[in-house]
Parts: sequence; C-alpha cells; structure tokens
Amino acid sequence: MSTTLTTQTAADRTEFWAGVRLIIGLELRQRVRGVAWYVLLGVFFVIVGLVTLLLWFATNAIDSGGGGMFSTIIFFVLLLGSLVSPALSGNAINGDRETGVLATTQVTLISTWQLVLGKFVAAWLTALAFLAAALPFLLFAVVLGQVSIGTIAVSTLVLALELGVIAAIGVGLSGIQTRPLFSIVTTYLVIAALSVGTPILFGLAGLATQSTATSTSIDYNWDEQANGETGGQWTCAAPVVTEYSVPRFDYYWGVLAANPYVVLADAAPGTFDDNGNPRDLFGWIAVGVRSAQHPPELNSVYDACADGLGPNDPRPNDYETAEQIYNRSVPSWFVGLTVHLLLGAGALFWAVRRTDTPAKRLPTGSRVA
Amino acid sequence: MGISVTGVSRSFGAVHAVRDASLEVPPGSVTGLIGPNGSGKTTLLLMLATLLQPDAGSIRIAGFDPIDDTTQVRARMGWMPDVLGAWPTLTVRQAIETTGRLYRMPQQQAARRTEELLAITGLTALAGQPTRVLSRGQKQRLSLARALVHDPAVLLLDEPASGLDPAARADLRALVRRLAGEGTAILVSSHVLSELDEMADAAVYMSAGVTASAEQVARAQSSLRQWRVRALDRAVLASAIAAIGMPAERVALDNVGALLSFADEAEAAAALGRLVGAGAAISDFGPAVGVMEHTFLDLNRDVNRPQPLPTEGGGAA
Repeated sequence: MSTTLTTQTAADRTEFWAGVRLIIGLELRQRVRGVAWYVLLGVFFVIVGLVTLLLWFATNAIDSGGGGMFSTIIFFVLLLGSLVSPALSGNAINGDRETGVLATTQVTLISTWQLVLGKFVAAWLTALAFLAAALPFLLFAVVLGQVSIGTIAVSTLVLALELGVIAAIGVGLSGIQTRPLFSIVTTYLVIAALSVGTPILFGLAGLATQSTATSTSIDYNWDEQANGETGGQWTCAAPVVTEYSVPRFDYYWGVLAANPYVVLADAAPGTFDDNGNPRDLFGWIAVGVRSAQHPPELNSVYDACADGLGPNDPRPNDYETAEQIYNRSVPSWFVGLTVHLLLGAGALFWAVRRTDTPAKRLPTGSRVA
Repeated sequence: MGISVTGVSRSFGAVHAVRDASLEVPPGSVTGLIGPNGSGKTTLLLMLATLLQPDAGSIRIAGFDPIDDTTQVRARMGWMPDVLGAWPTLTVRQAIETTGRLYRMPQQQAARRTEELLAITGLTALAGQPTRVLSRGQKQRLSLARALVHDPAVLLLDEPASGLDPAARADLRALVRRLAGEGTAILVSSHVLSELDEMADAAVYMSAGVTASAEQVARAQSSLRQWRVRALDRAVLASAIAAIGMPAERVALDNVGALLSFADEAEAAAALGRLVGAGAAISDFGPAVGVMEHTFLDLNRDVNRPQPLPTEGGGAA
C-alpha cells in the first residue's frame, strides 16, 4: 500500500521528501496564481499599514511602547489568515479531483502521504506569506520598544503554528469531502466554531449555569445618646442575608482554551507595568480568560461592624491587580494548542485515508478520475 | 507479463459496474476494449490503473498485483484517462516534465524525455503555451504524452481518439502500432469501432459489466451480417434481387440501393455472381459495418432488448 509513512532507509527518506517538495512546488505554481495573489497580498499589506497607523494614535505608542501595536497586528494577521486561508486551501484535493489532475498524479510514483503533506505545506507557506507581509509593521512596533524578546518569539511561533493548523484543516477537509464548495464552507465553519463559537458557548453556558450566592451584610447603626447629649456609639445591626444568582463561568473556562486567539494571548509571556496592568493586548486577554478560572465568592460576608470601627475602617481595599490574577491562575495555551495540532493532524490523516488508492470505498456520487 | 485479468468484479453500492471481467493482453499487442456507454469499461480501466480496488478477481499488470505491489505496477504502467485534466497554469512542456519528475526521473532526463514526447505527439509548437488554452484534441495529445513519459511496458488508453481530427487519429494509430511493435502491451477502449478495427490485434467485448466469452463472440460474428449493394439502376437491382430468390426478410431496399443479409462471405460472393448474372449493373458491394461493429451490435442486441439477459451460453451472467 502506498500509505506507509515509515521509511526504512535514509535513501527512502530523501526520496520521500523529494516527492513532497515536488508537490509543494507544483501546488505553489498552481494556487499562487501570479497577479491575483500579489494583489491580495498587497491589499493585506495596505490594511495592516492602516491598522498600524490607527494603533499609533490609539495606543499612544510613542510613550507607552509598541506592545499594544505588536499584539494587535499579530491578532490581525491571524484574523486575515483565517479569512483567506480556507479559501486557498479548502479545495486543495477535491479541487484537483474536479479538474481531473488528482488521478493522473496518483498513478505516478507519488504516494498519498507525499501528496497530502505537499499540499498542506504549500497551503501553510501561502498563509505564512501574510505573516511575512506584516513583518515590516511588526518590526516597527518592536522598534517602539517595550516588546520583550519572549513575546516576539512566542507569539510569532504560535501564530505560525495556528496558521498551519488552519491550512491542515483546510487541506484535510478537502480530502474528506467530495465537493470543493462544501469543504471550503466546512473549513470556515470549523475556524468560526473555534474563534467565535467558543466565546459564545462560554458565555451562554456560563449564564445558563447559575449558582445561588448569599451575601451577608452586617451593618452598623449610630445610636444617639438617649438624652440628647453629644456623643453616641456604633452598634451592630442584625445581619441581612440577600440571595442572588451568579453565572458560573469558572466551569467553562476550558472552552475558551480552544480559541486560537486565546491560545495566542495566553502563550505570550505576560508583561505588566508598575501598576500590575498588562502592557499589551495579549496580557489583557490572558488576564480576562484566566480570571474566569476562579469561582465567584458564593458566601460573601460584608461585615462593616466586625471591629467596631465603623466607616472609618482604615484598612485598604485589597483589590487584586491584573498581574496578581494572572500569576495565581493556570496557563491553558498548551492545552488549546495541542488540541488544535491534533485536530489538524487528524484532518490530514483522515484525508490520506480517504484519498488513498487503490480505493476500496468511494464516497457516493464521486469518481476517482 | 502484459495485462492479465481474471474474474474481476467491482460494485458501487447497489450498482454493479463490473460483474465478471476477464482478458489477456500479451506484450507487443493491441487489444480493443469495446462496449456501450456504462458497460464498465472505465471502471475496469481504473482498476487496472491502480486507482480502484476490485471486489473480487485478480489483476496482473506486467506481472505485478496492483493492490500488493502498487508502486511496481505504477512504475511500469501508463494510463491515459477519459477525463482530460491538466494543471491549468503550467505550460505544456512543464506539465510533461513535471509528470516525469513525479515518476522520480532526474531533472535532465525528464527534460530530455519531454522534448521527445513533444515531437512524438506533435505538441512542439505548443510547448510554451499554458495547458488551459489547449483545444480538446490538443489536451488529448498532452494526456497521451504524460502517459508515455516513463516509457511504460503496459499502456491503458481510455477513449484516446475522441476529439482528435483525422490526421491526429492516423498519427495516434501509427504511434500505438509502433509502441506495440516495441513490445508494449496496449489496451484501448473506444467507441470508434472502425478505428479499433485498424489498430487492434484483438478485441474484448464488454456489456453490462461482463466481458463476452470467446464462444459468444464467435456466435455473434457468424450471425447474419448486412452487405450494402448499389447498382446503376435501382429498379433493375430490385428485380434482380427478386429474381435470384433472396428470402424477403433478408432484403431491405432503400433510396441508395439495398441491404442484403448473408451468413458469411462465401454466401455473399455467390449472391453477387447471381445478381450480375441477372443483369444488375453493380457499382458497390461490401459489408455495411466492420467486423467489430457487427460483433458489438450483435452482442448488445440481447442487452438492449427489454427482456432479461439470456442465461444460455456459459459464463455470461
């Protein structure tokens, strides 16, 4: 069978990758169709440029550093990548079948794995071209300062991996489904389910699962002296217990871990300023998502009377800073990233199973050639 | 060696595309695969081309099993599909060369072979054109060039002549004969039966997924066959036919002349002599259809009738 990926000798391995390279070259020549492609890339470049310009004013970058700008551009590349990539990769295999070039490739000495991997790498490289086009603006943001090497390295790497996952899902679905239009739409739906569906699910599920929380409030009264003399004293009032319901987002924070934007934000090392506020968009999103891990306080006691200090309680309000929340929560990005990588690998694997020849089963209504 | 198929079947769900196909194509010969639309020719060729697994039966291509030794078969087999696809943005030259590279040819060897094939298929003038601007006939030639790129020992051609102009057909015929002369085993499917008559050494008839047995073919070939007769004067011809005592059911008069049915050539020759003797000035006398077409039509007569397939005649159903 031609599905075996296991290659015994180094010569076989060289042969295997030579074939994959051949398919990559063929695929890039096929799909990256000259003028239209460069126009698209040019439009993308202009849009990122405009976004950068707006961010320049919006984040007051000259004073506050390029962190906000850098992280927003990275997100923007992921957004446009997930808008463009499915259209370019979602018909890689079934589109070839429609135009009648799949079978003529399969009767050659190219194996199904070489074919699918070649198409995947080509789709990934195509998506990475967007990252490359955004590079000047990313560099500009870095030059503005306050962007750590860790943030640059991790976010770029994770973005590249996420673009690869989108390419793998697109190519995989194009091998699984017969009709190019359907596989492109399905790819969009999968990407949308991860990017938009997860926050919706998170929000709705959290709101649907309410817990009853009690808040006990012990107030104080100012008792005037009975005979009207000046001076009086604070007395404690009877505790007032109020019940109300709170949404339990903490049950569902794992859903958000599957969101590619969250993965990207959570993976970047958090950088905070002196007040404990995040320096970039990554940090804000990561803090937001991580704070969802903590259950709401179900039995809060507000005891104004406890120490008899009354309203003059000198103790400061101990609000947690964003940095403190970030640090006492668990990171989730590697779970999300692993899920994504498994999803992409699974799609490719399934595509190979479906595309392999000599074919045992054919999807109804399809032809091999 | 060559192609050897025994008892192969393949169904798609409830549709039995190929029920029972057996054939042999020895090296150095051309066999025509003949059958009506939907008779399973293309499905059979897909199984031979290592793209589809048979449900039952065995296939040997150049001595190898397409399922167990897929790579060995692919290295020795060239397939020209009935669906014409070409990478649209590549030029003709690039398309052939890329195919060669997909067969693991080194760059230079692929380039050299490409120039050869461009010349053989008459595409040299179009070598720099993108494949999407090619006409149907030109695509057909490109498809043939791709099938030949690795100099295969077994060649499968699915409707190679459709869309070709007469000159290109003659070229194709010459090329196929030459390849066979060099030892290639060639299986050609076609509807253009007159053409296969000239090109093929042998024919395999297929209908409703079953290849006809030798006895069936012999019986079909010995059935009554029509001969076209023309004379200078149609009225004289008609009276001459009546005079020599041809049975009425074997005679069909039309505005050109007459169609007479004979069991064999001897009977036809005898009738010609008697017609001339009866005073008809015969200007044209010959079989109305070629041998293959006659066999094809006769074998399919049973299938096309609304009644069920005949069960007599051995391994038919």
